[in-house]
Amino acid sequence: MHVELLGLPRERAGVAELELEADTLGQLLMALAVRFPSFSELITADRLKPSFTANLNGDRFISDPRTQLGKGDSVLILSADAGG
Amino acid sequence: MEKPAPFGYHGCYLRIDVSSGSVDRVPIPESVLRQFLGGSGLGAWLLLEEGNPSADALAPEAPLVFAFSPLVGSPLTTSAKFAVVSKSPLTDRINDSLASSGFAIAGKRCGCDAIVIVGRAAELSALIIDDGCVRLESADALRGAACQVTEAELKARLGADYQIASIGPAGENAVRYATISHDGRHAGRGGSGSVLGSKNIKAIALRGTQRSEWAHPRELTEYSRSLSKRSFGPATAKYRELGTATNLLTFNRLGALPTRNFQSGRFDEAVNISPEEIRTTHNRTRASCVACTIGCEHIYGIGDEPGVRLEYESLFALGSLCGVSNPNAVLRASRLCDDLGIDTISAGGTIAFAMECVERGWLDETWLTFGSGDAMLRAIELVGRREGIGDLLAEGSRRAAGTIGHGSIAFAPQVKGLEIPGYEPRALQTMALGFAVGARGADHNRSGAYEVDFSDKVDRRHVTLDAVRYAIETEDKAALMDSLIICKFLRGIFEDFYTEAADMLHRVSGWDTTADELRETARRIVGIKRQFNLMAGWTVDEDTLPARFLDTPLPSDPTAAISRQQLEALVSEYHRQRGW
Repeated sequence: MHVELLGLPRERAGVAELELEADTLGQLLMALAVRFPSFSELITADRLKPSFTANLNGDRFISDPRTQLGKGDSVLILSADAGG
Repeated sequence: MEKPAPFGYHGCYLRIDVSSGSVDRVPIPESVLRQFLGGSGLGAWLLLEEGNPSADALAPEAPLVFAFSPLVGSPLTTSAKFAVVSKSPLTDRINDSLASSGFAIAGKRCGCDAIVIVGRAAELSALIIDDGCVRLESADALRGAACQVTEAELKARLGADYQIASIGPAGENAVRYATISHDGRHAGRGGSGSVLGSKNIKAIALRGTQRSEWAHPRELTEYSRSLSKRSFGPATAKYRELGTATNLLTFNRLGALPTRNFQSGRFDEAVNISPEEIRTTHNRTRASCVACTIGCEHIYGIGDEPGVRLEYESLFALGSLCGVSNPNAVLRASRLCDDLGIDTISAGGTIAFAMECVERGWLDETWLTFGSGDAMLRAIELVGRREGIGDLLAEGSRRAAGTIGHGSIAFAPQVKGLEIPGYEPRALQTMALGFAVGARGADHNRSGAYEVDFSDKVDRRHVTLDAVRYAIETEDKAALMDSLIICKFLRGIFEDFYTEAADMLHRVSGWDTTADELRETARRIVGIKRQFNLMAGWTVDEDTLPARFLDTPLPSDPTAAISRQQLEALVSEYHRQRGW
């Protein structure tokens, strides 16, 4: 699936987007932490910390690590605080 | 014998009539302080106490309130803030704007919890408050001076230990969205700068030595250390490392970035003006308000020109909203607004509205086109000086639409006259409700409902009545934060905000405040703002959005649509849950 990183998650990973394989959101986050060690500070176990959030295909926000992901999905990881 | 002031307070406010020069030190009952705390809450109470809500916002008798808070001067991080509260000349409704830094601390050290200014000075003046002693000095030599120049010259004249809030040319010229500036920051929205200008006051200079005592100083210091330590964590890292401007690409990706006067939620050239791109081509430094450990300010340089603080709201308003993709134009426009003392959101909103009117052939200013950075800069300059088309645009988009006609009010990007911040309402519908019901109009600081849209609690493009309680929760929380006062950028570090807020207030004031009491306080503060608005003529018809948002799906994302009936149902449910 396609993974897009925005804001601080992009800073931590050092890339804006990449392709990864994972069946669930939890698996995806753990895969990102393995690929980018500094990304691990954004997660607790298989969940994003409260300051961060995930979005599926630009539509709905997801937080449950058991959320099923498909090969054609695009997952965005971003800061939850949108205040300006 | 006079009862001593509660800990954390002086128990009084200064009432200054700049017409007569009279100064009164007016006691504030402890019950009022406990019910309204400080900042926005105390300011709203004083506004009702001192003024007539139906009076013109720019009339001499209309009060302008500077309200401090129990936490100001404490070691609590981000607590050096003050609220400016008045009737807005832009909305004719209540306006409370907040700003930060040394002015708040110096104001409280003048031995008062608030300063209320009424009247109109005989000539353009500086209001000087030296440890509670008040005098006026001519500021005629500063007529037309930029905010930063005024501040520097007054410090040179009076002494570097004075803290100064000032207006720029826009405030002198009654631009309806003029700001009050202090140390490069602004009490920005709703035109408080023109209210100060209407009193013929160019600047307020303060210094003082009077400190309020804390009820539990050792415990307060311990808690403050803990709070500061947590403020270095991941919950604030976004602000510290990237600043609010990093929202731009996120909002663009989600189709929620207002573009070309809300004609799209996506800006194809967004990356050009993103901080991620600008920082590769411009020098960047960081700064923070006094007594803040977050340090959210990111200042960008353009060659040898002075640096510019860049925030998301300025970036969207002067960038995508006007279709401008030249980063230097956006940075210069932001600096020009700072110098003139103009709210960047209302400036961008009103200019973008005018650009669309030009595009439709309803305004003759053919130079004022989407995408032209030069045109935007020229328009801002004209607004600040009220010259040419600037005289019309200085009125804000709602009044400008009234003059332009052709039904242009349908796409004037405002609620209650206040231009809409950088959140596309059709793509973020809990925020749409927050905008519609806001006491001061469309506002992202008084409603944090966007937080809900950025979560799995709602479907942001198809919200239901379930969203209402979330909108109320975020509005209440903001009211409390704006009255205590602490920075909203701390909100992510609290697991139970109301319990911690009660604890910090207890350490400062000694009151046995509970979380439930503060929830009630928050609702009371939201309620008193509504009470002011009711007395000023508010009707339920004002709690809505411009027709564009209700009649037309978002062109860049047709699934993002909010019907008139849907919004009316949300607003009605909001009023029901508020008990109004």
